[in-house]
Amino acid sequence: MAPAFELNTTISNLRDLTESDLSPYDAIYLGNITCRLYEGNLLEHLDDLREAIAILKGQGQKAYVSTYTTPRNNDLPQIQKVVAAAVEAGADAVEVHNLGVLKIVHEAHPDLAVHIGGFANVYTDVGAAVLKRYGAVRITPNYELSLEEIGEIQREVGLPMELLVHGKMPLGISDDCWLLEYEQTWGVPCPALCRQELFLKQGDWAMKSIGKGVLSGKDVCLLEHLRRLMTGGHACFRVEAASESPAYRLEIGRVYREALEAALSGSDGLKGQWWDTIRHHARIGLCNGFYFGTSGMAYHGVQSPGADAAEAQRSGVGQ
Amino acid sequence: MIELLAPAGNLKMAVEVRRAGANAIYVGPRGWSRRRDTFEMDDGAVREAIRLAHDGGAKLRVACNTHMQSKEIPALLSRMERFVMDGVDGAIMADIGATAAVHRRFPELSIHASVGANILNDADVAFYREIGVCQVVADTKLTLRELLSRKARLDVGIEILIHANTCYTYLGKCWMSPYARLERTIDEVGKDLFKGSPNRGGLDYRVCLETWQLYSGDVKWEDRVALKNEAFFLLEDIPSLIDLGVRCLKIQGREYATPLVGNIVRFYRELIDAYAVNAPGEPFDMSPWKARLTAIQAERDSQRSMGTLALLAEAKVPVAAAR
Repeated sequence: MAPAFELNTTISNLRDLTESDLSPYDAIYLGNITCRLYEGNLLEHLDDLREAIAILKGQGQKAYVSTYTTPRNNDLPQIQKVVAAAVEAGADAVEVHNLGVLKIVHEAHPDLAVHIGGFANVYTDVGAAVLKRYGAVRITPNYELSLEEIGEIQREVGLPMELLVHGKMPLGISDDCWLLEYEQTWGVPCPALCRQELFLKQGDWAMKSIGKGVLSGKDVCLLEHLRRLMTGGHACFRVEAASESPAYRLEIGRVYREALEAALSGSDGLKGQWWDTIRHHARIGLCNGFYFGTSGMAYHGVQSPGADAAEAQRSGVGQ
Repeated sequence: MIELLAPAGNLKMAVEVRRAGANAIYVGPRGWSRRRDTFEMDDGAVREAIRLAHDGGAKLRVACNTHMQSKEIPALLSRMERFVMDGVDGAIMADIGATAAVHRRFPELSIHASVGANILNDADVAFYREIGVCQVVADTKLTLRELLSRKARLDVGIEILIHANTCYTYLGKCWMSPYARLERTIDEVGKDLFKGSPNRGGLDYRVCLETWQLYSGDVKWEDRVALKNEAFFLLEDIPSLIDLGVRCLKIQGREYATPLVGNIVRFYRELIDAYAVNAPGEPFDMSPWKARLTAIQAERDSQRSMGTLALLAEAKVPVAAAR
């Protein structure tokens, strides 16, 4: 019998994989999708990638191999090698964020399961239908979409939608790493630079910087809404943890595993210790992303951790 | 002859850029393009813009380059049908599904992929060709090598932005602005304007242009961090782009004042025409053009700075209190 839901997360390199207890997860996305220079990036070290896939398969978990978000011509040959290695090593799917890469993958490996990543900009049911013809079997819609819009795409196209339920939501991607300007000032060279925990702040705005990537400062948290997601027919849930610690992966993963199993059994109960763990790991606070149709940094729910009245008003909560 | 494509945020601007020498003009139907609704047009104005352009011998394209909602696709198609009946010469689009749907319904309509489609590599171009696009706007980071590869390998028109912004992030792959503030406003014809989300049709609050402090944990590492986001004019590259057979040079700027946009178009019209009569192989003196562009750039910078300050202030206004 197929499992009722899948909880997955993201791992950039072999060290993170071996140092993390990934037991709460059913599947792992492998590779850092923002930068080719990321330390030990599995998308550049194919022997490590093969080993990572073997480790996950040995643990009974699914191995998904991701690909770069914004590849230019000179990145395509490496992506083709990564996909070939993934197929050869028995990866369960490849995640694609770029439509050119989707075309290449579909032509070279027409039977390969392809997951569409959040940077592919799927905003509509007709867009999802186009990608289905190119081999897409699962879609992470663009992060700007509300649950209502996502549900509409799922119903019309008949593909599972993957939802970021916890972690820092991508807000943008660049080809330029601004952190490199500070290598000498800080005495921290690339590739260690982007492993610092760096937040850009202005007033009550905050974003996490990972060099080429910008993430939400707040952690997206849908803990209060898991039953609604399941009732809506969703079953693929991601904890975004590529730039987080092993403790974050394990402890947040455990909370969501327990909470999803509880939601599956029909329970609405939320344990106090879950919130203690969530709050402990959320440095800036919590938000719901765009799932409820308001600004991405708003939080909807009874917990409202870190959300004050002024912020709720600016974000349009309750409007 | 290479095409000079100019913006029109209103009918007065459409008249001005045509007079200044644009071969083609683009406008945004209200709620369907990547600009604030103030710089877009209702359907009647789009029809009038088509007439004005055609009377002056220019083409008129509609920019429907947002990522709309699934439920808005039928409205897009009916609107596009009206524009086609009014004689529009093409559409500028970004959304995969919307592009494919418009191409299926209007196979003769030329569709150009917007810079918001974020087409980065040759395989991307091939994908968009398959869903019905005949011309692509190059992202602002395209190198000469990439341009040559695209020209050599693909049967596609190439459009280069000659006045635009280089955002810190890739255009179309950024939602910093609606993360900070998103105002859901339905206009009188039922279109959600998504104020705060440029990808979805609203204005961009230019959040990236704030002066940021950088923290590692609770420790402030830097007091003033600026993410790169600059408006640019191409100048030195124009002759090469013409020689390489680029099909279209595009000027962005619906949000600027009409006289400034007119001056920008006039400048490029005269530059292109001067280069056209320059003897092949002979050096082309850029120095007078550089001097002239300096004055235009100063005015553009002044208008842009004021616009950015206003947007950043608006981004902090509670949603309910916004106009």
